[in-house]
Amino acid sequence: MIVLVVAAMAFAIVQPVKVLPRLRPAPGYALTDANGDRFTSEDARGAITLYTFMPIGCGDECDRAVTTMREVRERAATEIDLGGVELRLVTVVLGPDAPLPVLADAAAAADAGAPVVAPDWVWLTGSATQIDNVVELGFRRSADPADFSPSYAIVDGWGTIRGEYRYSTLLDDADKLLRHLDVLSGELRHPRGITSFAYDAAHAFQCYP
Amino acid sequence: MTDLDQTPDSHTDGDPSPTRRPSRRWFGIALKVVIAVVVLGVVATTALRILRPHAYAGTVMQAPTEAPGLDELVGTDGEPVDLAQYRGDVVVLFFGYTSCPDVCPTTLTMVRQARDSLGGDAERVHVVMVSVDPARDTLERLRDYVGAFDPTFTGATGELAAVERAAAEYGIFFAKGGPVGDGYTVDHTASLMAIDTDGKLRVVWPAAVEPDRLAGDLRELL
Repeated sequence: MIVLVVAAMAFAIVQPVKVLPRLRPAPGYALTDANGDRFTSEDARGAITLYTFMPIGCGDECDRAVTTMREVRERAATEIDLGGVELRLVTVVLGPDAPLPVLADAAAAADAGAPVVAPDWVWLTGSATQIDNVVELGFRRSADPADFSPSYAIVDGWGTIRGEYRYSTLLDDADKLLRHLDVLSGELRHPRGITSFAYDAAHAFQCYP
Repeated sequence: MTDLDQTPDSHTDGDPSPTRRPSRRWFGIALKVVIAVVVLGVVATTALRILRPHAYAGTVMQAPTEAPGLDELVGTDGEPVDLAQYRGDVVVLFFGYTSCPDVCPTTLTMVRQARDSLGGDAERVHVVMVSVDPARDTLERLRDYVGAFDPTFTGATGELAAVERAAAEYGIFFAKGGPVGDGYTVDHTASLMAIDTDGKLRVVWPAAVEPDRLAGDLRELL
């Protein structure tokens, strides 16, 4: 028993296993993709989804967000073992009702140079109310295109927000996102069995990166 | 006198109760063992609880925040939904609709079974179904529907925009689906959610959660 207590204390101090916190449910939504099809939050279930929120054609800041998403997608394919779980990218376009041809052009431009086995990257638009509900109420950040700066969110396959990134830090955005995706993938690769015990403990001890 | 005669335990005529001293010693030892077992048991239980807390069937939020308000909606009692009135108790929240052909009745039945199994604690679990079909679900219709599962269940509805806002905040998608007979279906997320005793959104369950596991989670939340 004493060994257990010591082990628990050692675990809490050393934190040999890291996890991403389960923050809150990601918002529910039904938006329109670049093909004019409905895309819902249920369509994203089962995959790890990396969200970004941006207007179309806002210059360097938009380019930075697109470059980050593209880099994450490309490097995740080779650097992270997601245990068979798909990584999906979703860009929610700020501002109401982006014309579908403009949305399709933006998606195609962002996709340039993508590897053949690239996971999906979905660009979504909707009415002002729909975008407000998703971005402001759900992801809790400004939906006003004038306030835009690159921001991201990681949502797991159960629809739970696991990471939110609103501000740039000294660490490169892509490096930070990849590091956290790697942490999340570790947990997903050990859903049950003795190793899942360590991940449960990591959640209990809040062993966050 | 032999060495044996000089041992402390040797009987002498001056000792009125020759067997009492060993008995006291054994009692002391037994008492210490009991205390040690109790202390170790408490420590072990605490350690195990920390290491292996209750294994929830649902997804537990680690930094739970205040559950989004539903005061834009009206409950089947005709009053705006006030989640604050349930502080100290647990609220199970579900988004569904009364014309729902399958998942809603199944889920509400499971919730009723789970709640019933809580015995006396059941009265501290409040079930609220928010309608994702406000165009058809009047308060009366909603009251009859949820009441058929359990008279303590509450329904809530409101303007479509208000329901959409609430649904987005709780991670619920819904949209009008295909036609069925004279009516239509509503596609929707069928998750169940628990608002804990502090009014925070704490647990999300998949619709297919088993009643006994749901009950176990509710017991833990209480």
